[in-house]
Amino acid sequence: MIKILKRSAILLAASLLAACGGSASSTTATVSVSTTPGTLSVNPPFRIASLDAATLQAALGATAAGVQLLQLTGNPVCGVDFYYLKFMTVGGAREMTQSSGALMVPTGAAPTCSGPLPIVEYAHGTWTNQASNIADITDPSNTEGALIAAMFAAQGYIVVAPNYAGYDISTLGYHPYLDAGQQSGEMMDILAAARTALPNTFTHTTVGNGKLFLAGYDEGGHVAMATLRALEAAGDPVTAAAPMSGPYALEAFGDAVFFGKVNLGSTVFAPLLANSYEHAYSNINNDPAGPIFSSAYPNAQAQLPSTTPIDTLFAENLLPLTALFNSTTPVVSIPTQPGLSAFLTAALAVPPIDPNNPLNPTNLWHAGFGNPYLINNNYRVGYAVDAAMHPDGAVPAPQPGVPLAMTKPAQGLRQNFYLNDLRNGPWAPTVPTLMCGGSLDPTVYFSVNTGTMAAFWKADPYVLPALDVDPHPPSAPAGLFAPIQVAFQTSQAQLFAFYQTPAGGGLSPAAAQQKIVEGYHVAVSPFCTLAARSFFSQF
Amino acid sequence: MKNLKLSAPPMLAAASVALFCASTALADDAPNNSLRLGSYSVFYHTSADDISGPYVPPGVNLQAENLTTLYAAYVRRLWSRFDVELALGYPPLAKIKGLGPTTVGSVPYNNVEVSSARWISPTLLLEYRFLSEDCAWQPFIGVGVNYTTFYDRTTTAAGNAAFGGPTRLSLTASVGPAATIGVGYHVSGPWHAYASYSIAQVKSDLTANTAGVVRTTNISFGPQTLIFSLGYSF
Repeated sequence: MIKILKRSAILLAASLLAACGGSASSTTATVSVSTTPGTLSVNPPFRIASLDAATLQAALGATAAGVQLLQLTGNPVCGVDFYYLKFMTVGGAREMTQSSGALMVPTGAAPTCSGPLPIVEYAHGTWTNQASNIADITDPSNTEGALIAAMFAAQGYIVVAPNYAGYDISTLGYHPYLDAGQQSGEMMDILAAARTALPNTFTHTTVGNGKLFLAGYDEGGHVAMATLRALEAAGDPVTAAAPMSGPYALEAFGDAVFFGKVNLGSTVFAPLLANSYEHAYSNINNDPAGPIFSSAYPNAQAQLPSTTPIDTLFAENLLPLTALFNSTTPVVSIPTQPGLSAFLTAALAVPPIDPNNPLNPTNLWHAGFGNPYLINNNYRVGYAVDAAMHPDGAVPAPQPGVPLAMTKPAQGLRQNFYLNDLRNGPWAPTVPTLMCGGSLDPTVYFSVNTGTMAAFWKADPYVLPALDVDPHPPSAPAGLFAPIQVAFQTSQAQLFAFYQTPAGGGLSPAAAQQKIVEGYHVAVSPFCTLAARSFFSQF
Repeated sequence: MKNLKLSAPPMLAAASVALFCASTALADDAPNNSLRLGSYSVFYHTSADDISGPYVPPGVNLQAENLTTLYAAYVRRLWSRFDVELALGYPPLAKIKGLGPTTVGSVPYNNVEVSSARWISPTLLLEYRFLSEDCAWQPFIGVGVNYTTFYDRTTTAAGNAAFGGPTRLSLTASVGPAATIGVGYHVSGPWHAYASYSIAQVKSDLTANTAGVVRTTNISFGPQTLIFSLGYSF
C-alpha cells in the first residue's frame, strides 16, 4: 500500500515537474543592443497593419480626401504591409540615438507586387506633433503616410520613410531640423535598417531590386536632396530623385524672410531651426546681438516638436500665430556706414498692405509683423548686417549663377543656413533629378528655393527643368506633366468655388482666397508626388 | 390499515438503504486512499476584456476552445464522509481563438486559432459524502481551491499575422475557488466509478509582446468540467 501511495505521489510530482520544466514560451523579435548607426533595433519589425488592395481602396474611399487622393493615385494594384522600423542613428550633435519610421511593403498576387521591387525612400514635411508616426496607417491624421502608401506602395514600390530623430519614440529631445548632415545620415541609416528587415518580413521574398528613388516634400525636399548628395558621396547608387517644395537654398530663403518676406508658418519653423542649430553648432543662444526670441516667448526654442497641438500653443500664447518680427521697424546704425544703415533700415521696414489686391504677397508678408513678436529686432539687425556683408547671390536680386555668399557668414544663424544650403560645395546631382513645387507657394518660396537651385544647376544635364504645377501666364501647362498642372489648377478652382458654397462655409471671395493661400503648400504635395511617381516610372 | 399506512415510508426507506448500503461492518473496513483515472472534459465560458494596446482596433477579443484530457486524482479519507481530493489533468493544449472582427486589417481573425498554451491546473477539494461508506452510490459535493499555471505558450502563424509578427505570450498564474458535485458507485472490490461536474474560477492577465509592442487583456476562462473516472481504493 505504501509503495502504491509513493508511486502515485511520484506520478503527480512528475506531472508537475513536466509542467514546470517545459515552460518554454513563444518567441518574438530579436532586439539588438548595437548602437551602430543603421542597425535595425527590432528584427523582424512590427507590422502595424496589413491591408490588401481592396481594403486599402475601401479605407481611402471612406473619406472625401481619400477619394480625391485615389483620383490622383489610381486604385491600388497591390496591398500594403505597414512595418514600424526602429533603428539607430546619430543626432545633430553626433550623439547616438534611436529613431523610427515606416517600411511599406507591397503585397498581393499581381506580378508588380512581390519579388524584387524598386525602393522609394521618402522624407516627410515639417511636423509639429512630436508623437507623429508615418508608419501608423491606423492614425487618421497620418495623411502623408496615406499619400505615399497610395502613391507608391500600392503601385508596387517598397517605401522607406523615417519619422526623424526627435519624433515618435526618439528620446533625443529636439529635432535636427534642416540639418543636412544629420538628416541625410538618418535617411541612410533607415535605408540600411530597411534592407536588413526586408528578408525577415511576412513577405520575405519581396526585397529591393537595385533601383532606389529619393523623394521628399517641404522639409523632406531638403532632406531628399541632401540624401542624394550623401548617397552619391558614399557610392550608394541612386536611380533618380524628386525633391519637392523644399527649402534647398536656405541662405537665400533665410535672407528673404529676414528682409521682410515672412513666409506662412515662419513662427513654427523659427523655433525648430533655433533648437536644431543650437544643438548642432552652439551658436544661437550666445549671439552678440542678444537672444533670438523675445521675452514674450521665452520658451519658444523648446516648444517644438510637441505633443501639445500647435493650435493650443498658439492659443496659450506660447508661440505667436504669425508675428515673426516686431512691427516697429528697427533703425540700423552702423558707424561709418550711413548709406548701408539707411539701406538696411528701409529693407527691414514692414511690407505694406495692398487693399486693392488680395493676391499681393505683401499682404501675407505684412502679417508676419506684430507685437508681441517672436524674433527680437537686435537679432534681426545682426542677421541683416551679415547678409549685407556676405551677400547671397540669389537674394535680393539674383546674380548670375545665384551663388552662395563668397565667404562664410559670421552671424550664427546665417552661418548655419550657409552650411546647410544645398549650393554649398562642389556637388551637383549625377542622377536624373526632378524638382517640383508650386509657384505661388507662400510657405516655401518656389522661386527662392527651386528657382535658385534650377539656375544654380542650369548646366547640369541630370537636373531636369523644375516642374511648377501651377504655372501662370505667360507660362501655361505644357509638356509631359501638363495633365498634372491642369489637374492642380482645376482642383484649386474647384476648392475656391466650394469655399463660397454653404457646405464650404459660405465665404466671401476674399476669404475663400485666403483659405486657398493657407492650404496651398499642402495642396501642391499630392500633385508633385504624382509627378515624382510618373518620373520614377521611366526608369 | 391505518398502522400499515403509517409504517409504509419507513419501510420504503429501509428498502432503499438495503439496496445501496451494506452493513456498517463493511464501512469500517473502507480503505483511506484511492486513485482515480478518467476523462476530463473542459467547457470554457471565456470572458475577456477587449485586447488593449497600440494598433489594436476596437472589439478584438479572445476565446478558448473546449477540450478533453486525462484526469487523475488522489483522494484521502479524512474522517467519516469527508475526503480531500487533489485533482489533476494531463496538461492539455488549450487553443485560443480570435473573437471579434472578421479581419484585423486584411488578416483573418474571428474564430481563427491564434495561440495555444498548455496549462497545469491542480485543484484541492474538501469533499463531503452524503451517505455512509457502506452505500454503493456515493453522492458528494466539494469545495476547494484551484491553481492554474500556463506554459508552452505559442502563437500560431495566423496569430502572428494578426498580431503583427512573432509574438511572445505570457499568462499570469491563477488562484481561485473551485467547487464540485458528483456521485461515486462501488463497482466491485476496490473499484469505484465516478461522475462529477466541477467549476473553478481561473483568471489570468495575458500580455502579448510583438517586437516590443505590448498588448494586454484580462481573461476569465470560466472552466466547467465534466469528469468520468474509475477509482482504485487501497
